[in-house]
Amino acid sequence: MAIQFEFISSDTVMGKSSEEKINIIMKSVRKDKILVLEEPLTPAEEKLLIMKTMTAITRDFPGIEVCSLGNTVDDLKSRVIKFLGGKTSGLTVVGPSNLVHQVKRDPNKLRFVAGK
Amino acid sequence: MPFQGLFKWLMGFFRGRKAFSLGIYGNVNTGKSTLANRVSMDWTGEAMSKVSEIPHETREVIKKERVSIKVDGKELTINLLDMPGIATKVDYHEFVDYGMSKGDAQQRAKEATKGIIEAIKWLEHVDIALVVMDACLDPYTQVNITILGNLEARNIPVIIVANKIDKKSAKPERIRAAFPQHSVVEISALKGDNVNKLYEEIVKRAR
Repeated sequence: MAIQFEFISSDTVMGKSSEEKINIIMKSVRKDKILVLEEPLTPAEEKLLIMKTMTAITRDFPGIEVCSLGNTVDDLKSRVIKFLGGKTSGLTVVGPSNLVHQVKRDPNKLRFVAGK
Repeated sequence: MPFQGLFKWLMGFFRGRKAFSLGIYGNVNTGKSTLANRVSMDWTGEAMSKVSEIPHETREVIKKERVSIKVDGKELTINLLDMPGIATKVDYHEFVDYGMSKGDAQQRAKEATKGIIEAIKWLEHVDIALVVMDACLDPYTQVNITILGNLEARNIPVIIVANKIDKKSAKPERIRAAFPQHSVVEISALKGDNVNKLYEEIVKRAR
């Protein structure tokens, strides 16, 4: 069975609140897609994503596998970079756990094992 | 809130000696409740949490209030908080594999999701956090990174506990290498190995 990947550029989510960003992620994941977002999530967004996932869990949707790589600190420097239209390096990969079986990461690379 | 720390200290001062909230965090099945029981038994003589090999045994925050720890003549009063294990998925089929009925497994999954939300909400309310990791497993998980990232963002003192060092496959050095910015204490909560070192670190961090 085919697996769908969806790539979202950081421009698409620029200016969106954390809540809106997480809603975009959840929408794709709930449609059985593996989403690659061109920016890392902040710790607060990662927390929000887990909480939203927990409220969405059903018998058919057991949760997510997620990996956020890169500078995820929501400090003054990264806020200024974003405010000036720049990008903080990194990415986030999220998929439904019934599709993504394993996520292996080290500081600079990640490996997803997916299949139905 | 900039005056939150001062406010908490004043509240503690007027209520008597301040009790530090010590949250025990980590992935599922890393031995958090075994550690909570070890601390509770060592200082109060009573266990506080149920332990099971089935994941998500702790599905709500379990509290043991005003536990006094004494190290080298210094005394520290803590409110011990055994948190539900944090995960990004809760699949009831996993509980069925442990022999639970489908209905019980689904109920457990429902309670587990609520427990995870509760544990996450508590992240910003603890004074010190022990982040427990299974020394036999890869420490570089998203859950560990999310927990540590949120604690760091709030400047909450963190001690990483490399647990299960009594097992042959334990490699606590992987934890040290993954999170060099934090102090790591290697222990076996089950056997009690090295827990005194952990108490010393807790007292040091609470000052």
